[in-house]
Amino acid sequence: MKGFSLKRLTLDAVLSAVALIIFVLESRIPNLAPVPGMKLGLANIVTVWSMFALGPLDTLAVLLIRIILGSVFAGSVTSFFFSLAGGMLCYLVQLFLRKILNPKQIFVAGILGAVAHNIGQMIVALIAFQSVSVLVYLPFLLVSAVLTGALTGLTAQFLLPLLEKACHAMKKDRRE
Amino acid sequence: MKTRTWIILIAAFTLTALAASAWILMSKKSSGVAQVLADGELVRTIDLASVKEAYTFEVTTEKGTNVILVEPGRICVKEADCKDHTCVKMGWLQDQATPIVCLPHKLVIRIVDADGPDAVVQ
Repeated sequence: MKGFSLKRLTLDAVLSAVALIIFVLESRIPNLAPVPGMKLGLANIVTVWSMFALGPLDTLAVLLIRIILGSVFAGSVTSFFFSLAGGMLCYLVQLFLRKILNPKQIFVAGILGAVAHNIGQMIVALIAFQSVSVLVYLPFLLVSAVLTGALTGLTAQFLLPLLEKACHAMKKDRRE
Repeated sequence: MKTRTWIILIAAFTLTALAASAWILMSKKSSGVAQVLADGELVRTIDLASVKEAYTFEVTTEKGTNVILVEPGRICVKEADCKDHTCVKMGWLQDQATPIVCLPHKLVIRIVDADGPDAVVQ
């Protein structure tokens, strides 16, 4: 693709691999609570970090690759649509937050991203099940989303200064 | 926006969700009629109050099979050939508050009032 230097392409590929590994490993962890759709969402760390360190285009690429390959390696056709709807809604929310959050507020993107992910999943569940009875799980999912989102968001926030070198190299690279 | 504003907004949101969760758990209504829905379609209706002896039956869709166990007054998923087994871990369904949901197989088991309105959205 034009404008994608080798360095940028490599970094995105490595990030996709990292996100995929996190996603597959997490799918091996048994559910902590008997609520359908509840999970840690650790791959969100990569999404948040990438959104604030690299930018929207790289994040979209990494996210889509992770969702597609994640469904191949550790999911099903059904889980693909849940991941896709959740991931895209999460992406849109973080795209908006990118403009208004300062470096000390990046955890907010983790939280609201996780909340958006659950709302996206719920929309697919409502369509798939053709029944409003799944909606009773939304409050439980939202509480867990705030907690797990805070965890992943803070992780990304603390990672950002540590990995600043990599981002700096990227930005310099893009200017050239 | 200030960090404090964000935290207050998120805390308010969390409290609302917590209150809704508590309300759902409190509004338990026991027994009634259990409905088994696969792919949004009602496949079986069981009047739990009239069950005398425990029995099992299978619900098979193109996605997989769930073995459902019925006992007097209660119902659960005994086995499932899906990956996550959330539906099995959810245990007995005894109230209207929280239906058993199997995401991979698009299966829902819920309890409704014997004469109440049907909540299926078409």
